[in-house]
Amino acid sequence: MVTVAQRAAGVLESNIWLSLWFMLIALVAIGALVAFLGMGLIYAERKIAARFQCRLGPMRVGPHGILQTVADTIKLLLKEDIIPAQSDKIMHLVAPFLALSATVLILAVVPYSPILQVANPNIGILYVTAISGLSVMGILLGGWSSNNKWSLIGGMRSAAQVISYEISATLAVLVVVMFSGTLSLAGIVQSQQAGWWLWRMHGVGIISFLIFIIASTAEINRTPFDIAEGESELTGGFHTEYSGLRFAFFFLAEFINMFVASAIAVTIFLGGWMPFYIGGFEHFNRVMTIIPPSMWFAGKTAFLIFIFMWFRWTFPRLRVDQLMRLEWKILMPIGFINLIAAAVIVIQKFYFFPE
Amino acid sequence: MASNNIKAVKKEERIIGGRKVSVAVVMPRDTPAPIPSALAGLVKGMLLTLGYFVRPWKIVTRQYPENRKTLKFPQRYRSMLHLIFEEDGYHRCMACRICEKACPNRSIKILSQKNQISGKIELDRYIWRMDTCVFCNACVQSCPFDALEMGHEFENAVYDRRLLIFTLNRYAGPSVLRKVESMEARSKMMEPRDRYGGPVPLNGTSMPIVQPLMVKPAQKPGDIG
Repeated sequence: MVTVAQRAAGVLESNIWLSLWFMLIALVAIGALVAFLGMGLIYAERKIAARFQCRLGPMRVGPHGILQTVADTIKLLLKEDIIPAQSDKIMHLVAPFLALSATVLILAVVPYSPILQVANPNIGILYVTAISGLSVMGILLGGWSSNNKWSLIGGMRSAAQVISYEISATLAVLVVVMFSGTLSLAGIVQSQQAGWWLWRMHGVGIISFLIFIIASTAEINRTPFDIAEGESELTGGFHTEYSGLRFAFFFLAEFINMFVASAIAVTIFLGGWMPFYIGGFEHFNRVMTIIPPSMWFAGKTAFLIFIFMWFRWTFPRLRVDQLMRLEWKILMPIGFINLIAAAVIVIQKFYFFPE
Repeated sequence: MASNNIKAVKKEERIIGGRKVSVAVVMPRDTPAPIPSALAGLVKGMLLTLGYFVRPWKIVTRQYPENRKTLKFPQRYRSMLHLIFEEDGYHRCMACRICEKACPNRSIKILSQKNQISGKIELDRYIWRMDTCVFCNACVQSCPFDALEMGHEFENAVYDRRLLIFTLNRYAGPSVLRKVESMEARSKMMEPRDRYGGPVPLNGTSMPIVQPLMVKPAQKPGDIG
């Protein structure tokens, strides 16, 4: 497989303009993806939330309200951008872009299909864990620079939460890295040719998948763990003082984050763009092969996003101490035990479909 | 007690209001629930919300202007006050003024007249002020003849509050309960009454269809008619 980055590098020596052209295409594609995801996911969230609560959701702007997000975006663009007095103005202006850029950077390494990936660094997983840690910088900066105690508390909570839950997420990812023997995201997808890591790993996979889902729900600050926002406690948390376009960027970053978390979970646990095969069912497998890989990826990601939304509209928010207890006393020990068990299984070659 | 969040239920007797009452004291759980039951609780909650998600007919929101034709109101929804008209167009109001006395803020004013032929008191105008009505249903419940009901019309907004003062009866004359020898005699005693024609407080101005109020000096200010 050839990624866009490899194509750009390949023609760099012969034709620098073609190389730049490739980079531009990749940039525009990622930008379009961000815009589309922002619109689509916010609409989907509102509709799904409505269905969970016996409501209809947006129904008035366009058929079934599909243009509601467009109208909201225009409204946010036209609103006044308020900068609080005596705040750190430069930091206040930069923070939303930092939060968004951290998530957009991850979109570049996600393998959407065998032929669709912007860049494929051979340390893809490391890159993802490192960059996703960066997103907390935007939230923390936004909270700190707002000159508002609610914002500051929200930012600090978010920092504590993301740093804690990153440990569990990384432990869960490490299990897959051990099994697949590669750090590259495309390589991990290729290693699931014989079966998804979710059930190929002998129970270890399911535990690490659950840990990863819980930890990434916390990392993207979604509802059972949204103490950073905490409407009832902190009015708006880190984005209390933000309005207009900059608030929209925080909002967008939250939803793109959800897509990124789902996409990474799909890539490392659910086989990425690999179709779903059942051994022995030839006809079933042939039908599954007809569906294009990008559709497989989109479908699996949409399913995980639905699960995130399902969590959000079911569970109440955790208290800060409960949140920390869940991570340090429950998830992390389970993650370590899981890692050791996985190491034993890998050394003993004791898993399904060995290659 | 099957609930996860209850540690124990203690039954004891307490003195409440000078009497001994046996009460059940529910003690909430002070330690975290065991992990299996906690996980079961999470799954239970998720199944509940999913149940609502997969059943679109559970949606309670109604799209108002679109569903106007099929709107269904609860039986006890109270809006416009009606005189109940029989199939042949006669109401049952005897002008006894019990509803007028029952009305907490004097939204009802009954004008009666002495019938020239039979010499009996009859309804002239049943005036109902919707702008002051609190829809408490006291008039309907107090009516000894079951002549009133609260209807379901709800789009009652108008641009002039004088249009909120209605004459409920369509004719002045004997009610359906009054014995009259023949239909011809009854129809001789009746005069038509329009919906807005009654005396209403208009502060001296007038509208083509609404006559200004003639305030008699003996009446209290603010009183209708």
